[in-house]
Amino acid sequence: MTAWIWAVWAILHKDLTREFRTWERLVAMASFAILTAILFNYALDRTEVDPARIASGLIWMTVLFSGLLGLGRTFHLEEEEDALVGLLLTPIPREALYFGKVAANAVLLGVIGGLLLGVFGLFFGLEVRGNPWALAGVMALGIVGFTAVGTLFSAISAGTTMGESLLPLLVFPLLVPLILFGGRATALVLSGGPAEALGGPVRMLGAFAVLALVTGGLLFRYVVEE
Amino acid sequence: MTLPPLLEARGLVRDFGPHRAVADVDLTLDVGELMALFGPNGAGKSTLLRLLSGSLRPTEGELHFRGVPFMPGDPRVARQVGVLSHRSFLYRHLTARENLRFYGRLYGVVGLEERVARRLETVGLQARMDHRVATFSRGMVQRLALARTLLHDPALVVLDEPFTGLDLDAALRLSRVLTEVRSDQRAVILVTHDLQRGRELATRVGVMSRGRLEVQAPAHSLDGPGLEALYRRVVEVPS
Repeated sequence: MTAWIWAVWAILHKDLTREFRTWERLVAMASFAILTAILFNYALDRTEVDPARIASGLIWMTVLFSGLLGLGRTFHLEEEEDALVGLLLTPIPREALYFGKVAANAVLLGVIGGLLLGVFGLFFGLEVRGNPWALAGVMALGIVGFTAVGTLFSAISAGTTMGESLLPLLVFPLLVPLILFGGRATALVLSGGPAEALGGPVRMLGAFAVLALVTGGLLFRYVVEE
Repeated sequence: MTLPPLLEARGLVRDFGPHRAVADVDLTLDVGELMALFGPNGAGKSTLLRLLSGSLRPTEGELHFRGVPFMPGDPRVARQVGVLSHRSFLYRHLTARENLRFYGRLYGVVGLEERVARRLETVGLQARMDHRVATFSRGMVQRLALARTLLHDPALVVLDEPFTGLDLDAALRLSRVLTEVRSDQRAVILVTHDLQRGRELATRVGVMSRGRLEVQAPAHSLDGPGLEALYRRVVEVPS
């Protein structure tokens, strides 16, 4: 078990070290997220729509779109000098490689999620009326579920000739529950809705994350081997 | 009691669709041996190396490591195999030391910092240990890749065209390290197009053609022209 955790940590540490040196994925994701928020800001007619009422859905849509930009590159990073072959030759369990990648992607998306809350807060005048920790928890659960699915499908799409362009087609249909329950839970926290109403969507987000992690962990080996 | 060979392949076959890349290869490799494998492009040398190193599943046949059957992904075998390909498996944006630390963690190397320093010294890169791989020449990258290959003290070292793109000095240094590796009680299998260099390093030579390991012979039984003649005969190249 210790070796397994050590391997997950090594993958996570390597991916984050590389990212914080190149800023390759974070800059692309952050630029896209900010530009999208600006466009939403101008696209909405504030005399017809109260931005605060639809902000939660817009935040999650933007997290998913910008997240796919970064997740799509997850395994392309390993193509340089055939590093994925090198990783698969090591004795680490394939699941450790998957969970290391999911963890690194979740950290990057967590940064983007935090940035988006700030940007939407600024443009749309959002106010967190509920518990800010509950908002962080909802975001974290949603991001873990999203990265668990996105990392698995990034490995699948990296092995195809269509590459990154295939990723949204594969992933979006699976993310409908995330948009539904993530959006609902975020709206409840932002509006300061009753805590008991939050339980349902949070449980669904948690179940989605667990199911995605377990499925990803089980299937990853078959995706990357040969 | 006789110990089983370090590596044994029996009736190894690998198909890619209708194409048979490796056909019915039998091979044993013992500790202290360095086998140089020659053959024209497309002869199946690299595919055979991938099968022997456990990164590709054979279509037919059996692989045994110290007498125990294994399949790709077997961690017991992966721990004892080091692979150097013409691609380095290294990360350009990490330093030499960070790359070795990373792989050392994955192989569970004990006393990692000391081992990393020693391997960097072996390949003559200790002065550049904190420089990013992106700033390295092709020869330095290949030397660092060799350090990565030997980092976890593998019993079997698999080398696929390690001299590709190296200048004379770098190639000589690599040859020197390989000679030390062989005398270090390991088994080495080396694929190269350089017949003379391969023969000088090897204890045994083999020639592949059309997926078959057509001939194997002790390296000392052949001189330079003899090996070239054998090679031409096997691959049917007119002299």
